[in-house]
Amino acid sequence: MNAAKPILLAEDNPRDAELALAAMEEEHISDKVVVCRDGAEVLDYLYCRGPFKSRLRGNPAVVFLDLKMPKVNGLEVLRTIKADINLRPIPVVMLTSSREERDLAESYALGANAYVVKPVEFHKFLSAVKELGTFWGVINEPPPEGSRSSHPHS
Amino acid sequence: MESTTNHQAEPPALATGEGKPHTDSLPGSSGFSHVRMPWFAKLTIEHRVLAGFSLVFVGILVITAVSYHNTSILLSNSRLDGRSHDLLQLLSNIDVAMNEAEDAHRRYLVTGEASYLESYTKVVHQKPAFTTYLRELTRGSTAQEQRVGVLDRMMDKQLNAESKAIALFETSGFRSVKKMALEGAGRRELGVIHQLITEMDSEERQAMNGRVADSAVGTRNTIGLLGIGAFLQLVLLAWVYYLIRHDITERRRVAGELQRRGELLEAANKELEAFSYSVSHDLRAPLRHIDGYAALLRKSVDESLNEKGARYLLTISDAAKQMGQLIDDLLVFSRMGRQEMLRTNVNLEQLIKSILADLRLDLQGREISWTIAPLPEVKGDPAMLRQVFVNLITNAIKFTGTRSQASIEIGVDRPSSAEIVIFVRDNGVGFDMEYAPKLFGVFQRLHRAEEFEGTGIGLANVRRIVHRHGGRTWAEGVPDKGATVFIALPTRSSES
Repeated sequence: MNAAKPILLAEDNPRDAELALAAMEEEHISDKVVVCRDGAEVLDYLYCRGPFKSRLRGNPAVVFLDLKMPKVNGLEVLRTIKADINLRPIPVVMLTSSREERDLAESYALGANAYVVKPVEFHKFLSAVKELGTFWGVINEPPPEGSRSSHPHS
Repeated sequence: MESTTNHQAEPPALATGEGKPHTDSLPGSSGFSHVRMPWFAKLTIEHRVLAGFSLVFVGILVITAVSYHNTSILLSNSRLDGRSHDLLQLLSNIDVAMNEAEDAHRRYLVTGEASYLESYTKVVHQKPAFTTYLRELTRGSTAQEQRVGVLDRMMDKQLNAESKAIALFETSGFRSVKKMALEGAGRRELGVIHQLITEMDSEERQAMNGRVADSAVGTRNTIGLLGIGAFLQLVLLAWVYYLIRHDITERRRVAGELQRRGELLEAANKELEAFSYSVSHDLRAPLRHIDGYAALLRKSVDESLNEKGARYLLTISDAAKQMGQLIDDLLVFSRMGRQEMLRTNVNLEQLIKSILADLRLDLQGREISWTIAPLPEVKGDPAMLRQVFVNLITNAIKFTGTRSQASIEIGVDRPSSAEIVIFVRDNGVGFDMEYAPKLFGVFQRLHRAEEFEGTGIGLANVRRIVHRHGGRTWAEGVPDKGATVFIALPTRSSES
């Protein structure tokens, strides 16, 4: 169990964020969720800088990453995470409305751990977010703190 | 020229009912040749080249014939010249011989020496040969022949007179022929003969001169004709070269223009696809929100919600779902247009079998009699063709839903070697042929939503896929009797 580790949700659309939180609420994991409104904020959180300067140290259990975000988009965030030896072990799940092949291919090429297309129908969205939150935030055992990737970055 | 090449370069028109007008000609393509020789512009380049080379050919034939004719004349003139020379020689020989006969007979009459008589007799013996040669060498020339006749008689007369004188001399002695010996027995005839020979000589020389002048003119004409001919051939060849060259340039220009237009069209199409994808994409987010917040609202007011309010909320989320379905259909439709196409052999028989197996669950409780003809193998994209037949078959199943005994037929027709027609026929609700052109449009429905479900994208996808395979689609129907949807696929594959 990783009860202490937060779930980082990168979502620029407040409604999507609220709906996602509502879903997590049903699973009683919403209080673990940290919402970032753009890619820059995600990076600030991960690197403990700016508004997150004084946050509790440690990586999140998982990052749910939207593709289309202002300032720094999802793919750029993903690239930064997977290029950083300390951040690389964090599981990253792409959570997006894009079904485009190019986005899929690029995400996996950059090292995304999963790719989920947001369903239009709320009850499907609900179950998707619930499952994701439960699996990555509760069931899945995250990498131990301070762990380093065994593979040197190419 | 332009219209011809345009026509050839145009892609084969699809014989579908949608009647998209093809551009007839490209702007700025009307060359000067149109204005100058409209009849000529109608000819294809092949015809023009053929005409050009025919002219060259005829020219060569004419020149050859005329040159041959002139050369024959030259040859026959030179033969005639040879004969004339012979004749002149003969005439001079005759002149000499007749003079000698005259001379010899007089000497004999005076001296009585046998050697003179011998000389004379020699000429008498030569005379028939002279006549024969003369006739031979003057054959064909009337004036000369007439003179030969007179000459012959005169020679005979002279020789006769002289022979008589000799005979008289031998019987009666010198006295009786003294006068003749002094004057010559055939003196008068000899003069005539001499004159005749002179005439014939000059006539023959004149004829020779005439022929020489004639030959010179013929030679000059031949040379001139050859020169003019060579010039004309060169001009014609240059013209044909120009035509071919011009045509090639024109073809290149048209091909370039077509390519440019194709690229523009492709770019525009790509842009449109990107636009439709992006629109569909961005529309999904608000829909998710509508459905999501409706659900959240229902949850938060659950207890106080009355029946009416519950129905309103349900309608809101139903509408959002429906729009979501429309967007998803649009995305699939857009993908059908962009997706890379495979080209393999597709066994339609197996394809239909597997589709029917997949649909088995949906068909529970339905009475459908299937008639499926032996189906051929076609060239195409298996996934896309599967989509086509899934759409056609589910349509047939859907629109026979009101029939207690439904019947669906899948058949094949081969109207020509160029294409193969496959049709799906049902005895369902059918449609009015008046609306047939709308049938294959995007989101076009011929039935009310509460009658039959669906967004109206199925046949649009069918048409798009079949068009991408280079084929065409059409449908026939009778209201309340049934419908038949036809797809024609080319037997030789070509992607459009």
